[in-house]
Amino acid sequence: MFRRHLIAMMVAAVAMLPLSVTADARVTGASTLIDTMIADLEAFLATDTGDTDARAAEIDRVLSTYFDMDSITRFSAGQYWRAADDTQKGEYGTLFRDVLCGTIVRNFDQLNGLVYTPGEATAKGDKFVIVSGTFTDTTGQRPAVAISWRVLTREGTAPKLFDIEIENLSLLVTQKQENVAVIRKNKGDFGALIDAMRARLEAPVHTGS
Amino acid sequence: MLIVSRPDRTGPLARAAILCGVLALAGCSSTPVEERTDLRDPYEETNRKVFAFNMGVDDYVLEPVAKGYKNTVPDGGRQAVSNHLRWASMPSTAVNSTLQGKFENAALATLQFLVNGLTFGFANLAGDDEEVTQEDFGQTLAVWDVPEGSYHMVPVLGPRTTRSLGGTVVDFAMNPLRVFGTGEVVQTVNTARAPVGAVSFRARNFDAFNNVKYNSLDPYARTRSVYYQTRQGLLEDRIAERAGSAVSEDEFDSLFEEEQN
Repeated sequence: MFRRHLIAMMVAAVAMLPLSVTADARVTGASTLIDTMIADLEAFLATDTGDTDARAAEIDRVLSTYFDMDSITRFSAGQYWRAADDTQKGEYGTLFRDVLCGTIVRNFDQLNGLVYTPGEATAKGDKFVIVSGTFTDTTGQRPAVAISWRVLTREGTAPKLFDIEIENLSLLVTQKQENVAVIRKNKGDFGALIDAMRARLEAPVHTGS
Repeated sequence: MLIVSRPDRTGPLARAAILCGVLALAGCSSTPVEERTDLRDPYEETNRKVFAFNMGVDDYVLEPVAKGYKNTVPDGGRQAVSNHLRWASMPSTAVNSTLQGKFENAALATLQFLVNGLTFGFANLAGDDEEVTQEDFGQTLAVWDVPEGSYHMVPVLGPRTTRSLGGTVVDFAMNPLRVFGTGEVVQTVNTARAPVGAVSFRARNFDAFNNVKYNSLDPYARTRSVYYQTRQGLLEDRIAERAGSAVSEDEFDSLFEEEQN
């Protein structure tokens, strides 16, 4: 009886081995992606002159290199992505990227003086890895900010960043819920979201500060 | 308005806000399911009107006052105010932690309250106060499995679920500082705490608030999303743990369902 249990446990352990190896590889791949991106951004910040166009170009490059923009774009439109035609999808993708880029560029100065400390990385299901970390302000004027990077780790493809959670607040989920609200407010019209995004891009930026 | 923190609610302003909230709830009619932008928000039509009112309060009162506060009061002064507000919430945290069975947190909150009470909470003498997780009665109700209820935009106070609004009322009624604070100075401080808390919170999150207010496609929807996520983080004590993800994995299922089709 004991021997039968022992054999069963050994078989189970051997069967689990490839899974845990894969999970470890995914976790390592995701952590490396974030570390590389941070190093890349730090290198840019070290030589940043404050030129808006240069910042926009850098953000565009970072989005293309490290982010899974196709999945992010699709997810951010929620269930209404299916209702959109190809022209709308293309237009939305361009606008979404422009809005995202504009938002980051607008807040770019907030990156100055921050130091990133990597934390733990954990696999979430078979598709995501959450990489945690902390941004600390070297001047001590701002409190430390906890950040979680949600990395998409699909089999056979390189890991790509999918979402950023700042103090447990998901930027992508927030954007998706806002986008869906705009569409629903307009009785399911996907075009209304495109119009709203275009209007937002054309409106003057107001910070109130 | 976008208040998602838990400032102390002992002043007449808070009292009026709670009363307005209850009256608003009594007067609101349900929005048909097909017209809601979020299923958790059955009173959306009314809520959006209250939100517009709160934005007006922010335009004319909170934002300018917070801006002045941020620009004129030095860092040390603002930190002292934040310390005091956190200190004043410790009795409520101690009571609610006990009710939730978090006895270590209750003991830490009591210790913080007693030690920092020497300076009325303005100086933090007890070391790292981040060790104490703030707890309110809304969180206690969640631990007791009381359903969350609907989403409400309360005048001046901002977003609440039915459960957290109930918690706000109980926290207000149970606040030990109201019971023991009989002196004139103490009463004045108690009365000033809610508006000061609102200004302090607005100033600390000035840019984030303004980003939502001025640069969103739909500030109301964004505020609702931020509120639910923040509240979920508090309920799961994730804010304190500063790790992991507060978003349910189900939220991302649609991405892969889409790919399979």
